[in-house]
Amino acid sequence: MKLTLRVNGADHEVDVPRRATLLAVLRDDLGLVATRFGCGSGQCGACYVLADGAAVASCLMTVDQAVDHDIVTVEGLSQDGKLSPVQDAFARESAMQCGYCTSGMLISATALLGHTPSPSEDEIREALAPNLCRCGVYGRAIRAVQRAAGAT
Amino acid sequence: MIDGTRLEGRIRVERDGSVTVLSGKVEFGQGIRTGFAQIVADEMDVPIERVKVILADTAQTPPDRGTFGSHSTEQEGPTLRRAGAFARRQLIERASSKLGVAADRLRTEQGVVRDGDGASVAYADLVTDAPLSGAIPDDVPLLPRERWRYMGKPRPALEAVDIVSGCARYAADVRLPGMLRGAVVRPPVRGAKVRAVDDAAAKAMPGVVAVIRDGDLVGVVAEREEQARAAADAVDVDWSVPATAEGETIVLPLREDEGVDAALASGAKKVERTYVCPPIANAPIGPSAAVADVRADGATIYGSTHRPFGLREAAAKRVGLPPEKVRFVLTLGSGTYGRSSSFDAPMEAVILSKNVGRPVLLQWSRAEEFQWSPSRPEAVLEASVALDASGGIAAWRYDEHTNIHTSSGFDPSYGGESTGRNAVPPYRVPHAHVTLYVEPTPLRTANFRSLAASENVFAIESLMDELAHESGQDPVAFRVRHLDDARLRRVLERLAERAGWGKPRGERRGLGVACTEYHGTKVAEAAEVEVSPSGVVRVLRMWAVVDPGSVVNPDGVRNQIEGGMQQSASWAVFESLRHRGPRVLTSSWDTYRIATFRDAPLSIDVEVAGDPSAPSSGVGEPGAVPAAAAVANAVFAACGARVRELPLTPERVRAAIAAR
Repeated sequence: MKLTLRVNGADHEVDVPRRATLLAVLRDDLGLVATRFGCGSGQCGACYVLADGAAVASCLMTVDQAVDHDIVTVEGLSQDGKLSPVQDAFARESAMQCGYCTSGMLISATALLGHTPSPSEDEIREALAPNLCRCGVYGRAIRAVQRAAGAT
Repeated sequence: MIDGTRLEGRIRVERDGSVTVLSGKVEFGQGIRTGFAQIVADEMDVPIERVKVILADTAQTPPDRGTFGSHSTEQEGPTLRRAGAFARRQLIERASSKLGVAADRLRTEQGVVRDGDGASVAYADLVTDAPLSGAIPDDVPLLPRERWRYMGKPRPALEAVDIVSGCARYAADVRLPGMLRGAVVRPPVRGAKVRAVDDAAAKAMPGVVAVIRDGDLVGVVAEREEQARAAADAVDVDWSVPATAEGETIVLPLREDEGVDAALASGAKKVERTYVCPPIANAPIGPSAAVADVRADGATIYGSTHRPFGLREAAAKRVGLPPEKVRFVLTLGSGTYGRSSSFDAPMEAVILSKNVGRPVLLQWSRAEEFQWSPSRPEAVLEASVALDASGGIAAWRYDEHTNIHTSSGFDPSYGGESTGRNAVPPYRVPHAHVTLYVEPTPLRTANFRSLAASENVFAIESLMDELAHESGQDPVAFRVRHLDDARLRRVLERLAERAGWGKPRGERRGLGVACTEYHGTKVAEAAEVEVSPSGVVRVLRMWAVVDPGSVVNPDGVRNQIEGGMQQSASWAVFESLRHRGPRVLTSSWDTYRIATFRDAPLSIDVEVAGDPSAPSSGVGEPGAVPAAAAVANAVFAACGARVRELPLTPERVRAAIAAR
């Protein structure tokens, strides 16, 4: 079916199976591959995107649900080629190892700072708790969000 | 075949003056790309921003046995240093002819050769006629430490900006023209044979290009991923399930001193203990994935594996091409911690692509990743130790019962280094018997971070704690009195200071320590835990002091050690892979709990105390090795509960409290 999705500030027309997930359409139809598949059941956070500013699992949202929302992926966080404060802070803190889960963390952190500009450490932990990381960079990621909060 | 002993196989100066470094090693987030760039930028005297590192592209990089054992910096670092220094020397020689100035009057400065009088020539202008080349000499002088600009200083990962900006590409992100998506039909158990395939329903489904049966692999290739999965579910396969082979136990003595029985019998105090580690999952966040493009005249595989050249050989054999016609190109990889030593997903992609003659991307589902990938085997560690009248270790018998830890089969000549890794303690023990029993298992088991070292060190370091307490000695002092290795002693003593050993921690809180040597790296770790009245263990803080010899990137070292400790604390407190015979029952994160942001310690303090006079040794695995014992010892310190079986579940902790 033909649909128009609003992603990263632009309208995109896609022709996809009706029950395709937003994740599949982002990755396979729009080429926005920084949103990653991790589990397909909303349990790991690797596929998080912003939907009207809230972090949601794009593997659970179907594309026809997504048409009602303003979607932002990691590719849309930078403005005019400049990293967002959250992206910049994660890079500066080296808050990553393999980086596979990083996109999802950036989305959760951006959503958090959108409604809570100066979060406590506990609020950061709660907001990022759905984002699993196997390499073990949780401590660095918390510092990165604190750094970004200081910069915004 | 690229020759890694020659300069042209290691370093290219490009026409724009940038430098390309070549290595057959693989990056999964250990930071070796950054470390290699630091090394070459320094030795060649070029800005690090101009250095690009190409890893594991079989068409461009020298062959390599594989990326494991935390050996990358140790093995590649010295070669790359000499290559960089040799390149710089050649550039000076060329500049000498070009400028007509004696070489000893020339110096380099960030990509330019200069004399004292204002004449200069850029590196790029010295390679226009011929690339740098030649056998890398063993004795080329290296840059003295005081002139290091990049080495020894913290540096963010070279990939960091690509990763945060969304430009990084992992295997499943590769997009090729005409690429299709694959999905595999899984049998009821591993090793099942195909009797018959009914693919009529699947073939009629939207987007399906082919249903493939190749030997005992059945899969679907479709235009879209969800179509391939749906069709794979609709394929009806009649499987014949093989009888499970029993297999034999391999017994391998790792140390056999004389007089152990007598010494055990005559000791002043004898302690016998058994420790148990469950099977656990590598559990990468990104399920295994690969893209294969197999044509009649050649093949390319994109992905991530610990053994790129081994994968190329295996794929070539499978599709009937000479190895030089098969190219493996490394993408970024989800951290897999050993799991991708097995070639399963890439080989499946190769077979699917071969059958359709088009590129195929295959990414496993989360359930496939848990149920079909190899896991770390279980281990039962049995120890009998005798102490003499002064409380010193007099005799030591240690039996490691486990299953194979490597995807490449069990090689007895390497058994003590692989499935028996770290079974021999680092302590001075006058009479010791250490024996490895490699037992058969229906479970598919293979490489996971540090192989058996994590299990053995959990047992040995728990045991050292118990021996100290049983004989009324301080656990740190007890270890120190049995350590001959001055560097290991130093990191342990430094750790005790740093973590405030001996300081009261408050109610239901305790501090535990553990230490080890792992492939040359000395590491001591401490954990402070709080144990709730119901037995829930919360890791509050962790400390490490690590000596990996000469350090290339201190922040890279810290990141690896922190991550290893965090991962190992997760193993210790939460993880156990459920299986019944060959069938893994765990299929999702719902039933395989790992540590989350909520569980992360309040702090992980890592002191990098590398001995600059010692060669670099690895840090990818060592951080994960002693942490479980440090946590278990802290639980004992907190509440007197000695838990000898992982994970440290509330039930086990409550039972151990009751058994005090």
